[in-house]
Amino acid sequence: VSHHGLGEFEQMVLLAIVHLGGESYAVPIVDEIERRTGRSVSRAAVYVTLRRLEEKRLLSSWLGDSTPERGGKARRHVKLAAEGARALREARQMADRMWHGVSAAMLRTR
Amino acid sequence: LRRVLPEDVRDAIEGDLHELYVRRRSGSGTTRAQLWYWWATLSLAARFAQSRLAETLSHVLGRDAVPSALDFTLGVRMLRKYPGLALVGGMGMAVATALGAGSFEFFNSYLYPDLPLHEGERVVSIINWDVRRGTDDPHILRDFAVWRDEAKSLADVGAFRTVRRNLIDSTGLSGLVSVAEMSAAGFRVAQVPPYRGRALVDADERQNAPAVIVISHDVWTERFNGDPDIIGRTVRLGRVAHTVVGVMPKGFAFPVNHRYWVPLRADTAAYPAGDGPALKAFARLAPGVTRGNAQAELTLIAERRAEARRETHARFVPRVVNYGDILFETAGNGSMIVVIQTVLPMLLVLVCLNVAMLVYARTVVRTGEIAVRTALGATRDRIVMQLFTEALVLSLLAASVGLGLVAVALRFVNGVLDEGGVPFWVSPGLSPSTVAYALALALLGAIVVGVVPALRATRGQLRTALSSLSGGSKPQLGRTWTAMIVTQVAVAVCTLPPAMLMGRHWVSQALTRPGFPADEYLSADLRLEREDNGVVAAADAQVELRKTMRASQSALVEGLEADPRVAGVTFGAGIPGYHPHELVGFDNSPLVRGARVARIGTDYFKVLGVKLVAGRAFRSIDSALPTARPVIVDRTFVDQVGLGSDIIGRRIRFPLWSNGRWVDPAQIESREIVGVVEDFPAGNIGVDDPGDTRATLYEPIAPGELQTVTLFVHVRGTAATFATRLLAIAAAADPTLQLRDVQSVERAYALERRWMEMATLALVLVVGSVLLLSAAGMYAMMSFIVSQRRREIGVRAALGGGARHILTSVLARAALQLGIGVLAGLVLVVVVDRLAIGGELLSRTGLIVIPVTALFMIAVGMIAAAGPARYGLRIQPTEALRSE
Repeated sequence: VSHHGLGEFEQMVLLAIVHLGGESYAVPIVDEIERRTGRSVSRAAVYVTLRRLEEKRLLSSWLGDSTPERGGKARRHVKLAAEGARALREARQMADRMWHGVSAAMLRTR
Repeated sequence: LRRVLPEDVRDAIEGDLHELYVRRRSGSGTTRAQLWYWWATLSLAARFAQSRLAETLSHVLGRDAVPSALDFTLGVRMLRKYPGLALVGGMGMAVATALGAGSFEFFNSYLYPDLPLHEGERVVSIINWDVRRGTDDPHILRDFAVWRDEAKSLADVGAFRTVRRNLIDSTGLSGLVSVAEMSAAGFRVAQVPPYRGRALVDADERQNAPAVIVISHDVWTERFNGDPDIIGRTVRLGRVAHTVVGVMPKGFAFPVNHRYWVPLRADTAAYPAGDGPALKAFARLAPGVTRGNAQAELTLIAERRAEARRETHARFVPRVVNYGDILFETAGNGSMIVVIQTVLPMLLVLVCLNVAMLVYARTVVRTGEIAVRTALGATRDRIVMQLFTEALVLSLLAASVGLGLVAVALRFVNGVLDEGGVPFWVSPGLSPSTVAYALALALLGAIVVGVVPALRATRGQLRTALSSLSGGSKPQLGRTWTAMIVTQVAVAVCTLPPAMLMGRHWVSQALTRPGFPADEYLSADLRLEREDNGVVAAADAQVELRKTMRASQSALVEGLEADPRVAGVTFGAGIPGYHPHELVGFDNSPLVRGARVARIGTDYFKVLGVKLVAGRAFRSIDSALPTARPVIVDRTFVDQVGLGSDIIGRRIRFPLWSNGRWVDPAQIESREIVGVVEDFPAGNIGVDDPGDTRATLYEPIAPGELQTVTLFVHVRGTAATFATRLLAIAAAADPTLQLRDVQSVERAYALERRWMEMATLALVLVVGSVLLLSAAGMYAMMSFIVSQRRREIGVRAALGGGARHILTSVLARAALQLGIGVLAGLVLVVVVDRLAIGGELLSRTGLIVIPVTALFMIAVGMIAAAGPARYGLRIQPTEALRSE
């Protein structure tokens, strides 16, 4: 967990948004994480995380237009905020620093 | 989902689900897409509910007091790590939760129902409370008329009683049915319009009105094949032809579980006050009237009547009660229910306190782990929450097992309670409120099991806890635990023997076979349908009834004996073994003995194959004697009296105890014992209480003498297959002859055994969990106390103390604690035995069971103490001294 409080799953959600062009909504985010990690993801966990990230001001959101294939309900779009991008960069740097100097040989267990 | 989702994301999530549903529908079909949709909705709802709860908790209790998913994982891990504790504690808590949730479900669904009627909460039951006898009086015919005519606060008042009638349609006999004789107001109270035709109306209640009947939707479809011309068809109830005037809609079973309704025609003028048929009254409150208003008005009416007729009315008080009370013989048991509802959760708390002791012992063992967590920054709240969550995992598991037990028991109770079906307001299965109640009990259990030990274990200073890691001083338990051990042993010694005694008796009953081919005998309770109002007071009416019963019974027996499949027919009062107990006195002797008194037909022994051991069997002439009929006794009776073959010719008198008082023997006729038969049926069949005798005394009765007798037909082959034929022969002999419980004697015994088996299972569960918990709790405490002294033992050994001497001193102390416990338990046993059981416990069986239980508890305690003590002796003296 970084000093922004970014957990592993939060990082995954933010990165999925980045991969989707920095702006998307829940359905493709879930698909993106599942496609890239090869693991199935709890949809509920994604919604809860999106809400939390928005509360932390790492994301911003707005309602789109309603469409008939969605039963007349609007999409909730999310966009990576500047603070969110910074949190991701910091998380990356921290991980890089920790990985620096670690070789494959060092990871071999006896 | 709508309820648990935050408003700002609700629409978007629903839209997402809809979008995915449409996508899946085109990919994998509607059904799979629908299944997926429901699953996704449920899991989303659960996840958001959990996150909401966590948010609320963190607001109320602070951030540290919110259990995390990791805490739950740790809880599950703890169950795996300490399987013994999980099993013993979980079983105890499951049984206690089952008792609490089961009683809650029963009372809630049966007694405090939400009636599935329009404004069901406004429908009430009215009883007439007899202040002097402390019970409600069912002979309310006159009062009912007054309530109906005078009470303005009641929109409609009705009454009913359930009668059994032979229903005969065009095909012949269709069997015995329960019929509600109900005032027409019942249909107005229920406010359910008929499906076809009309409901009963007030005019139907007039004495000279044509006989009419309303039937249920089930009866219409099952018995009349949904005949579209049902209205106007006639069916016979006994001798009286009734015209079907209406069919009620599906599911209608008002007032309880009825499927046939005929008008209640009770002539108020024909009975004195406080007499007449036993009725139940119900009413619908008038619009805008509360139950309190109605009660006040009825009280006022009663007071006015009491002033006019003090001798008959002063002791009755009308009460407006819950509609559910209509089910019970004695209504208004509110206070008792409150007591039960309070006591059962207390039982859970007691069980949980026991489990808490076990958990405390485990928590103390984990002191080091707790200290490390504290040192790493965990607050006390956080650690308490973690321990609470671990306990919650256990209690939730126990609650689900408990709910499973309740579901099984409910199915059994609902199945047995009434062949006509459970009351219309009882829905099958566990109600959501019961599940919520069980969850609340689980929470309560987790607080006792988790929080209490956690608060105690985390009370000490961090330094103390950390120092314990390196072998410093440990938490002291002292006298509190000694007291707990004593209590534990005492309670076990006191409660287990009575339960074991009861259990042993029930098991032996359940295993007993009757010793005769019970499957070859068909039994049926025989009674004459009385189409009056059930009150035959006049002596000549009784004589008339006996005459009719004798004629019908004889006609039935004749008809049966003419059938080639019948090997013999006889009758008696009740199935063999199940007879009332009486006290019997001997002439010219102070001897008084208890015996079951079986009233039987004179050919009973011959037909049922009971062997005569001495003297003679009954002759037909014996039952024709108006007084002083001879009696026959069984072997056990002879053995108990100790007279051997001298018993023939002795004269006896009974019953010496009647209506709760002694009867002067001079007032009772004396009877001669003319024969002795072998014990029948074998074993303890029919002896419900271990203290009851199985000695039996037989007296002859004549056909028609009893208004209800049990008929026994010895069938060549399997008896059960003869049931339909029996019904047909009975209908031909007399259409008003009612046959109930037509079944083989084997099946009658099996039904009795089912209760025994259920009772035994419940007893084994309760006693087993008490014993296990008790033994495990004591083991934990004992080994814990001794392990606290391990270092002391090591030091004593280092200073030259002999191993045997040290071990003896440690065990002596344990033995003292256990001994005090056993002593206290014995004192309690004597008290309980004298007060409640009547000396049975301290007889032969108890004298074996009590010492065995005491020895078991002592053995468990000593083994628990010996283990750590021996370990202490193995500590190297140098190590022990260094640590000091």
